[in-house]
Amino acid sequence: MAKLHVETTINGESTEILVDPQQSLLETLRDGLMLTGAKEGCNDGNCGACTVIMDGRTVNSCLVLGAEAQDADITTIEGLATPRGLHPLQQAFLENAALQCGICTPGFLISSKSLLDSNPNPSEEEVRFWLAGNLCRCTGYDKIVRAVLDAAKEMKAGN
Amino acid sequence: MISYNVIGQPIVRSDGFEKVTGRAQYTGDLKLPGMLWGKVLRSPFAHARIIRVDTSRAVGLPGVHAVLTGDDTRGVRYGRRLFDVPPLAEERVLFAGERVAAVAAESMEIAQNAIDLIEVEYDPLPAIADPLESMKGDAFLLHPDVNDYVGLPKKLEKVSNVFVTNTWGKGELDTGFAQADHILERTYTTPLVHQAYLEPHSCVVFIDEDQRIQIWAANKAPFALRQQLAAAIGVDEDRIRLNPTYIGGDFGGKGSPMDVPLVYFLALHSKRPVRMVMDYVEEFTAANPRHPSVTTVRSGVLNDGTLTAWEARIIFNSGAYGGFKPGVNLGGARDVAGPYKIPHTFVEAIQVYTNSVPGGHMRGPGEPQGIFAGESHLDEIARILGIDPLEFRLKNLVGEGDVTATGSLYRDVKAKETLEAASMAARYGSPLAMNVGRGMAMGARAPGGGETHVGVIFQKDGTVVARTPILDQGTGTYTTVNQVVAEELGLSSDKVQIIPWNTDAVSFDTGIGGSRGTRVASQAAYAAAQNAKQELLRAASEIRGWDPSNLVLKDNKVYKGNTEDYIDFDFVVQNCGFDIQGTSGIEDREQLTVTAFCAQIAEVAVDVETGQIKLLRFTSAHDVGQVLNPIGHQGQINGGVVQGIGYALMEELEVEDGRVSNVTFGDYKIPTMADIPELRTVLVQSKNGVGPYNIKGIGENTNTAVAAAIANAVEDAIGVRVYSLPITAEKVLAALRESNV
Repeated sequence: MAKLHVETTINGESTEILVDPQQSLLETLRDGLMLTGAKEGCNDGNCGACTVIMDGRTVNSCLVLGAEAQDADITTIEGLATPRGLHPLQQAFLENAALQCGICTPGFLISSKSLLDSNPNPSEEEVRFWLAGNLCRCTGYDKIVRAVLDAAKEMKAGN
Repeated sequence: MISYNVIGQPIVRSDGFEKVTGRAQYTGDLKLPGMLWGKVLRSPFAHARIIRVDTSRAVGLPGVHAVLTGDDTRGVRYGRRLFDVPPLAEERVLFAGERVAAVAAESMEIAQNAIDLIEVEYDPLPAIADPLESMKGDAFLLHPDVNDYVGLPKKLEKVSNVFVTNTWGKGELDTGFAQADHILERTYTTPLVHQAYLEPHSCVVFIDEDQRIQIWAANKAPFALRQQLAAAIGVDEDRIRLNPTYIGGDFGGKGSPMDVPLVYFLALHSKRPVRMVMDYVEEFTAANPRHPSVTTVRSGVLNDGTLTAWEARIIFNSGAYGGFKPGVNLGGARDVAGPYKIPHTFVEAIQVYTNSVPGGHMRGPGEPQGIFAGESHLDEIARILGIDPLEFRLKNLVGEGDVTATGSLYRDVKAKETLEAASMAARYGSPLAMNVGRGMAMGARAPGGGETHVGVIFQKDGTVVARTPILDQGTGTYTTVNQVVAEELGLSSDKVQIIPWNTDAVSFDTGIGGSRGTRVASQAAYAAAQNAKQELLRAASEIRGWDPSNLVLKDNKVYKGNTEDYIDFDFVVQNCGFDIQGTSGIEDREQLTVTAFCAQIAEVAVDVETGQIKLLRFTSAHDVGQVLNPIGHQGQINGGVVQGIGYALMEELEVEDGRVSNVTFGDYKIPTMADIPELRTVLVQSKNGVGPYNIKGIGENTNTAVAAAIANAVEDAIGVRVYSLPITAEKVLAALRESNV
């Protein structure tokens, strides 16, 4: 099958890539662009390990076609830190040990970023609701909740 | 208490930076030049004869480099101890999901297309999914040749589907039951559940130009895997090299060879590197989930609450193979009798082959099954006697000098203190609303023994590299090694970098499991750091001509005794003219007098109209030695508790006609962030730990008693007991209806 030519923006950089029509955005990122930070857990939209931000919304990249990335603006875990350093969420995850095996961590960080982008001052309840679509089997979640609340506080203080 | 600088501090994980930036490389992230995709064709039948496998159309598909059937791997058997698993089925398939054929192709799509082109003709046979049926004398044999298998602990006098039996006990059961005022017998069942690590099993195998078999695998015991693979395929261990990779969760499930032997054959036939990643449907149907169990407990007790006798039989459904557990049986079964001073006991655990997915290890193998039965049973006895469950346990728990029900003797026993601490923190005994209840359960887990090595190498920039053959699957062993080395060398944690070794580097490492990580790794890291320190002091003394016996390492400097005369340690490293390093090899398999008690109390509200259970609070008390890293330690507690909550209330791989039917995380629910109640933790300090820092393990017993505590809380709330996990609303409602009849 003929490949499709897709122009997209990933982590602020314009990118052109050839994708198979049936290829998911997750496969496009991981196999085509070698951005392996987004993880394939369940590959059916239930675990959240592949979460990326697409035009301001979080999506399970395993459920989006690579072809749909045309003209989209996509943020992956690789785009979270800046040359100035880690994102406050990344720092808070480190300090709270809000990660263990790390396979769900990129998805949690991206979902958390999306939460704080739209709601800079979430309650604990809102954090738990927003992140309920990301599964973690290691941490028991408590430290992740704390990390997100800490990061929100830090970002508010920094603004 | 000894005061430390790095030990006991909430140090950031050594692997944290790579993991929060997405740079950490897992097996599925690896790409090698020319790498092919492996894919498996699996049986749709729980039991069938394979009449014919036609691969001709798959072989002809462009981009396909190898197509294998059972003929290509005939006679090969592998396992962790018992070698009964074929890489590909030969004459018969024994479970739905068993591998029948495999391909290696240039893309995932081509591999899948090739799989779709393979035609298999089956003759379906009657299947046995129920272990109780499979145990019967007239049941057909799943493994008629079991007595010929490598690794079978004891030859069977008469071949049956029951392939291994272990027993524990003491005293005379008849005496104990004769003394008893009450005898209670109950049966408990636990379900098939998945470890639910989010990284599926994955591996890459590549036979290099030197004919070495290079492997990357989501496997937390690479040296054991090397042995298992070498024995299975008949090559020298030296030819095999396991390369380090991150592992995305384990919980006991990532210790078996899984697809590695098969992918070796794909790599051999295709002469290319081959990657195989199970998809999650394959994980749910055909990996190595926790064994379902049927446990019958019969107990004898005096009117005053003194236990006199305890008889338990645990039947584990092993599924179609026994090769996914390193002990062949599950030793944790003995915990059905718990840390109680019962004089007359007999515990039997058996493994039965059935036509279902083979069981493997999961977090305290055998313990959650046994403890659910044992601790549910204890509560029921207490209620029958009209004694408070707390008081009843305190009366029967072991104290200093007491031997447990299955014969273990520990020192500095904190069983009662741990239970009392849990009860205080949970405000046990304080008034409760209607249909709200509290329940408790206990467990105990000694840290396992094993072997490992550590290397410590000073770098010219003043930092230190620590090498370990252990692959950290999330539990934090890299951070443990980091903290020990930093502590002993007087460095801050960020000056120590962990670089894992491949299997060529040292002779052996037992791998993570059995709550051994901290016990074994902390000793090895301590010894390596001490050796490296001695080398550094020797080098300093050579540079300065100081007496080597009177030097002190402090604040990145080597001081001449207690004087102010010093030399910077990076100056020593840069100018001594040789590499300063220390290595260690630790083998500590001693049966310890150390254990770690765990007491947990659940508080639940039950809706008697719907049967819905709401977990309101959960308290977990642990007796601990020196906690090396409080945030890492807390993570193991929270994670274990939450996994236990899933086991108690939500999780079950449902098997219909021999097939697992809930094959996505949409249908197989595990706890999410929104499901978790307030978690309380209490730590009880114990003096009796292991190694230079007096530590205990925490990885497993956080999850073993949770389900029983919740079951007991449900009975406390509404007066009915559910004897099978998970405790669903349907089961609660059914129990309520039955009690009202």
